Amino acid sequence: MSVLLVSSATGLHRLPASDGQSVRDLLDTTALRVRAACGGSGTCGACSVRLIAGEVSPPTVAEYLKLTPEERAAGQRLACQLRIQGDVHIELEHPAPPSAWKSIVPENLAEITACRPELSAHRYGLAVDLGTTHIRLALWDRRAGKRIATRRGANPQGSFGADVLNRLEAARAHPEHAAELAASAREAIMHAVRDILARDIGEVTPMLAEIGEVLIVGNTAMLALLTGQGGDALLDPAYWQKKVDFQPADRSAWQQPWHLPNARIVLPGPVAGFVGSDLVADLVATGLVDGPPGSLLLDVGTNTEIALWDGACLHVTSVPGGPAFEGVGIRHGMPAEPGAIYRVSRSDAGYACATLAGETARGFCGSGLTDAIAVLLADGRLKPSGRFVVSPGPEGYALDPANPATAITGIDVDAFQRAKAAIAAAMEVLLRQAGMGWGELRRLCICGAFGHTLDVGRAQSLGLLPPIAAQDVELHADASLAGGERALLSPNGAQRFAALTDTIKAINLSLIADYDEAYINHLRLRPIAVAPSP
Amino acid sequence: MLERIVKAYNEAVFETDKEAAFEVVEAALAGGLTAEDIVFKVVIPAVEEMMSNITKDPDANLAQHFMTAQIAAEVTEKMLLSFKQPPEIIGKVVMGTAHGDLHSLGKRIVMGCLKALMVDVVDLGVNVPAERFVDVAQAENAQVIAISAMMVHTATGENGASKVRRILHERGLEDRIKLVVGGAPYRFDDGLYQTVGADAWAADGVNAGRIIVDLIRGIKKS
Ligand code: B12
Ligand code: FES
Repeated sequence: MSVLLVSSATGLHRLPASDGQSVRDLLDTTALRVRAACGGSGTCGACSVRLIAGEVSPPTVAEYLKLTPEERAAGQRLACQLRIQGDVHIELEHPAPPSAWKSIVPENLAEITACRPELSAHRYGLAVDLGTTHIRLALWDRRAGKRIATRRGANPQGSFGADVLNRLEAARAHPEHAAELAASAREAIMHAVRDILARDIGEVTPMLAEIGEVLIVGNTAMLALLTGQGGDALLDPAYWQKKVDFQPADRSAWQQPWHLPNARIVLPGPVAGFVGSDLVADLVATGLVDGPPGSLLLDVGTNTEIALWDGACLHVTSVPGGPAFEGVGIRHGMPAEPGAIYRVSRSDAGYACATLAGETARGFCGSGLTDAIAVLLADGRLKPSGRFVVSPGPEGYALDPANPATAITGIDVDAFQRAKAAIAAAMEVLLRQAGMGWGELRRLCICGAFGHTLDVGRAQSLGLLPPIAAQDVELHADASLAGGERALLSPNGAQRFAALTDTIKAINLSLIADYDEAYINHLRLRPIAVAPSP
Repeated sequence: MLERIVKAYNEAVFETDKEAAFEVVEAALAGGLTAEDIVFKVVIPAVEEMMSNITKDPDANLAQHFMTAQIAAEVTEKMLLSFKQPPEIIGKVVMGTAHGDLHSLGKRIVMGCLKALMVDVVDLGVNVPAERFVDVAQAENAQVIAISAMMVHTATGENGASKVRRILHERGLEDRIKLVVGGAPYRFDDGLYQTVGADAWAADGVNAGRIIVDLIRGIKKS
């Protein structure tokens, strides 16, 4: 791991970098984007930066063509040509205008080798994972099997409320809000596509006509709001377990404002009122049913979705135990953004907190919260009941006494216990439904950003993850997007989704009498017992 | 000996260790304590102690509330089977979750505390229509209707507590039946119970027990 230091008008930024990566690709994953109007081929010349010092690749032919000798002498380089080979320091004098969109970090993307050579026209295709908090998308040249670019940005519906109920309620109460919610998500998708075309291809309008398919996956609430229908049904328990479907009432009303005259708009159907098509995408991306019986999939989000493959049947449920892992209700909780503590380890002086982007700690993201509670428990500062041995008072126990944002309070531990109990109890119910025990788990797929920085052993020590050998745990960061991409790249992708959806047995936890009991038992901070005590 | 048992039991509850609590009870029975003694001298004082502790202790967590209620209810239920004569009941409560709400855990804790405090509870289950709360409370001569709601729209919605209040008013029952609410939305906004027309609310199961017992006593006095 090397470090890229970037001096810009907003200050000095430190970015972890891998050797061989281009400066542009790295900056594109952050808010510090260079200007660009080609896919990084060195043909537009817009991406120049000044190299101050460091180990980098020599200038390429493109740079000799696009930069004058004076510019080169002054240290100017093309960011897309400049490859990191050690610690590097650059100056970003002319950043791109601020944008809501960033590239998805390459490690999080699935490797997909598939193409559609039979496509002669409209070869481009867009896969979208419409999440409650974030929208992620990828533009593909389907014929060549080439991923052109990806983007990740905030879902603008967040201004109506972070949780789905507030948004559904707003849509139910006021038709004009429903229209606004639908339009804002659709506009956001189009902004991202235009951003890709402008920066990664260099041509917008003619390319829009070449997009032949837009495939969108999401949770049921997002699909309902996007299509502007059926939201009230989701608030009514009577519809919970029924099959629901949300399709655009009028596809041309989407194609026109999007300027996508040739795009088929595909919204694979969700599983039930409370389990969306994003889970089906996870199943496709992980190939859960191709694995051994006892394969468990966990996608921790605002709503945590869980699937268990028992060899014959897919048992699926969802549980709203996630928000605590995104910082909701945690005193110093925050999403996985720069400055978030994602790991805690012991040091001579006490505890060391590793933060995202190496910035000063501002709070805990989900994996940091899990780590902090696990070390406090292991060190005997917390009891399995979730109480501190010595009450640290309302300000909490600061891992770094010099920084109050590193404190964990009793209320935080309680919120963590509630969230992990909700998830663990849901997994237990699925196992019971399948007639299996914890000891029969053979494979665990953790989907979503949550798993990315999680220390699996620590999470197991608290009973958040089941006891399973480390080599049987797989992390699939952007699985829902990857599932959508796979569907886009296969001639019968939509059928695959539909076929999988039909084999699913969706379980509504509110109808399971012993869920309560399991929840209570899982509140304790302790590893999940392989053979639960009677 | 009783003192030691009480201490060991309280400690187990405080540590949310259900297995340990049951061991204490088993040992006490083996040591000659009666079922009545265990309920009245161990369990009820433990719930009461939790009540006074919890109001003072900002660190008390959900697991502790759960365990106080859960263990107390389980022990009481088991002990009641070997009571020589049925115990005196303080009063009757009709409880359920609000219309549209399937979250049953809050109700379960509150019911556990009430049972351990010798309050009779009629459990209407989840997703209960407003009329049903009032119909059953009337038929059963209950003093309190208790409604649990975990979601904002079920706590404040037109088919929840506010409708129960309206029906109580229309049927002229407001002096005889009190309305108590609880659940997460009320914890975020401590004036919300008044907005929905309730007489009282509580932030946790143990305090819910205390408040409901007070209301029952108030009605019985008048
Ligand atoms: C477990 C859980 C579920 C389980 C419920 C299982 C069950 N049998 O109860 C399942 C999976 C079924 C579920 C489903 C849903 N849930 Co839910 N669920 C939770 C969760 C994780 C815990 C809730 C809980 O039971 N807490 C334990 C209670 C007992 O704690 P407590 O509030 O402190 O209770 C104390 C007091 O309030 C008081 N009290 C409680 N009741 C009463 C009553 C009276 C009279 C009194 C005096 C006192 C009192 O005493 C209690 C004990 O001390 C929360 C999130 C969280 N971490 O809290 C979400 C949460 C409540 N759910 C939520 C949502 C959105 C849903 C769903 C719509 C999700 C979906 N998309 O499908 C569905 C809706 C189902 C329905 N129609 O009811 C949201 C509500 C958001 C909002 N704005 O209102 C929450 C907050 C999660 C979130 N942030 O998104 N859920
Ligand atoms: S030349 Fe670097 S992005 Fe176009």
